Amino acid sequence: MNGPRKEFVRVVQVSKRFPGVQALDNVDIVVHKGEVHGLVGENGSGKSTLIKILMGVHQKDSGKIYINGKEVNFKSPLEAQKKGLSAVYQEVMIAPELSVGENFFLGKLPLNRLGFVDWDKVYKESQKTIRDLGLEIDPRRKIFNLSFGDRTMIMIAKVVREKANLVIFDEPTSYLTIEETDTLFNLIRLLRDKGLGVIYISHRLEEIFKICDTVSVLRDGQMVGTNPLPGVDENRIVSMMVGRPIDEMYNIRRAEPGEVLLEVKNLTRDPDFRNLSFYLRRGEVLGFYGLIGSGRTEIMRIIFGVEKPDSGEVIIKGKPMKFAHPYQAMAQGIGLVPEDRRFQGLAMSLTVRHNINISSYGEITNLGFIRRKDELSRTEKLVDALNIYTPSIEQLVNNLSGGNQQKVVIAKWFAKNVDVLIMDEPTTGVDVGAKVEIYRFIEGLIQQGKAVIIVSSYLPEVMGLADRILVMAEGDFMGEVRREDADEELLLSMACKVTLNSAAH
Amino acid sequence: MSLNKITKQISGTEKEAENNGRISIFSRFKLTTELTLLVIIVFIFIVMTVATPNFMTTYNIGNLFKQASVIGIISIAATLVIISGGIDLSVGSLAGLVAMLVSVMISGNYMAKPILPAILITTVVGIVIGIYHGFIIHEIKLPPFIATLGSMIILRGIVKWISQAKTIANLPKSFTTFAKLSLFNSIPSLVLVWLAAILIIHIVLTRTTFGRNIYVIGSSQEVARLSGIRMRLNIYGIYILAAFLCTIAGILMTSRLSSAIPTGGSGYELTAIASAVIGGASLSGAQGSVIGTMMGTILMVMIVNAGVHLSINPFIMEIVQGALLTVAVVIDMLRQRRS
Repeated sequence: MNGPRKEFVRVVQVSKRFPGVQALDNVDIVVHKGEVHGLVGENGSGKSTLIKILMGVHQKDSGKIYINGKEVNFKSPLEAQKKGLSAVYQEVMIAPELSVGENFFLGKLPLNRLGFVDWDKVYKESQKTIRDLGLEIDPRRKIFNLSFGDRTMIMIAKVVREKANLVIFDEPTSYLTIEETDTLFNLIRLLRDKGLGVIYISHRLEEIFKICDTVSVLRDGQMVGTNPLPGVDENRIVSMMVGRPIDEMYNIRRAEPGEVLLEVKNLTRDPDFRNLSFYLRRGEVLGFYGLIGSGRTEIMRIIFGVEKPDSGEVIIKGKPMKFAHPYQAMAQGIGLVPEDRRFQGLAMSLTVRHNINISSYGEITNLGFIRRKDELSRTEKLVDALNIYTPSIEQLVNNLSGGNQQKVVIAKWFAKNVDVLIMDEPTTGVDVGAKVEIYRFIEGLIQQGKAVIIVSSYLPEVMGLADRILVMAEGDFMGEVRREDADEELLLSMACKVTLNSAAH
Repeated sequence: MSLNKITKQISGTEKEAENNGRISIFSRFKLTTELTLLVIIVFIFIVMTVATPNFMTTYNIGNLFKQASVIGIISIAATLVIISGGIDLSVGSLAGLVAMLVSVMISGNYMAKPILPAILITTVVGIVIGIYHGFIIHEIKLPPFIATLGSMIILRGIVKWISQAKTIANLPKSFTTFAKLSLFNSIPSLVLVWLAAILIIHIVLTRTTFGRNIYVIGSSQEVARLSGIRMRLNIYGIYILAAFLCTIAGILMTSRLSSAIPTGGSGYELTAIASAVIGGASLSGAQGSVIGTMMGTILMVMIVNAGVHLSINPFIMEIVQGALLTVAVVIDMLRQRRS
């Protein structure tokens, strides 16, 4: 932008080993003054470890860190702070019981002539700091009364007051609204323009593209690459994160197909779809592809017992079933991740814990009484296993991000341990990180001998994940395509009811 | 100073640290409704004790709580239905009907039947009305408001019809003395029944699948169904349990008044809904607790009682009750908007 930027922090060949894992493996990264440097990577790729070493929380095993060209060796966070390094975490760690102003002056409250705290000065100066950043927050308000957005802003204001040179944001937008995120981005740009260095960690790539000048990608503790932005596209970054080309992001470990779990014969429900027959074996992922209105969602709702068919059979493990209600399908080991998670998948006004256990309370009761311990331990386990990013299992699902909400819906069926999981557009409105994780869950399910049906309008997704793809058009079954024969043109032409030959004209 | 905290934050596992931060805030909000109510109740108690000599007497307090018991049990019924996203306007009429039925059966002036079978029969009638509500709401898909508004009027009509709009008295001693009993000469029997109902329904709501399902249904029927919750079983269950609670309340009311009046329980539906809402229940469902409702009931009953002792025009006290309800809901909404 304005000439060569001055280097601020240089990390050279830093390694860190924790028992059992090489958290960082010869990592290099350079952050300049006046630069917003994005840091991305899947969970466990080493982002947090790198930050903790920079902040002096952990000590590196080997390698060197330079600040303004001078080698440093932080033994404690205090030393890092003295060098002007600050971190803003999503959960603000300032004293929530105290006012904004008190938090700014923590430990160094100004006194007046009588030896009392000079509150006037505290609030006036705080007000000024806040106003300078273009914010409107009353410095007399207690932190816990502020929204998460305002708390984040206050943390930044505090960092600015303390004259930090490098500010690290770790997933700062997890709890912010869209407007708050915009305010945050404006603040970050302000910091950058003041010549501060910023490290910005986020799962959400669209944020990285919006705010960062440079992006570095970590994978399995190694620095995969650093790229200027713009200059590299989202697909490239995702493939760097997952370690294979984007098309292969969907490549999951296949399982050997076993017995037939679900069979559908001549299923018809006019006008939605007609004469549909297919089967699904253990270890298989069956894809349903079609344009909107092709009848895919209705098929899934009928298999799950939400609606009734006009004719035809649904056979589970060899037994013909007549489902009139979802609980009957559920009892036969079928689960549905519905199309619309906000109106069909989640009780939005209830907690993560409650939502995860909705379908399977019956399994953790004694004489009708829920075993609280089992409920908690199983919820914690699933939140961990599915990497659901939530401040607590008592959080209302309404406050989670789209990806995490979807993971809660999936966790509900993991808790129920269903054999057949039907997923209707499971990755709409989900960030890339969570998307990749959802594909991993599908992989895990088929490895355990479960079966998955995935309905998707996104071709690379069905083509990559499904063993066989059934194509629907306007309620008609257009054919089945095996994974190795699938290509976009073929599937799309089937879905549009045109033959390839006529399409060529 | 802040840095030490940052350090703690970073060095603990991130999740752990977040949990701590959030839970304290969360529980602060969660407790607010119940705690605030408790503070207000205690405050009124103290003020009344100081202001008038007749408030803090065994007789008045006992009376206050006996009265609260009947409304309190009906309020629990209202709460259950409200949490499920519905509403039951018939609770007062149902209690009135039960009171009338039981009186007609056991009164010396009428059928003079034995007490126990009479109670049994009325309980069956109550449950049948609950089944009817389940049927008309779940199968016919009538909105709960309309369904129970209809029942409210129908049941009140039945009460007036079977009683010929007369008060029915001359009930057997053994029936009327129940309301005069007390434990350790201090806790009235009615209050004990109320406490038992609070305890049982609290456990049902928090510790059983049925209870958890009620909240899910209140959050979204579609989500509940797609999560494999058996809607028929649960909806019927909710209205039957509510009707059963009203039956108990109706019987207790008769025992306390030693008679049944044609207007018995009328207006209770509004007090009950108000108590539930003041106690934190949301008319859009999925929110509410038995403890909160209990506090709401005490507050509603106490305000009337306080008005009497301060010789305030009872009509004004009605205004106060209405205002209290409005303010409670506004505060609740503001609090939720903030968090």
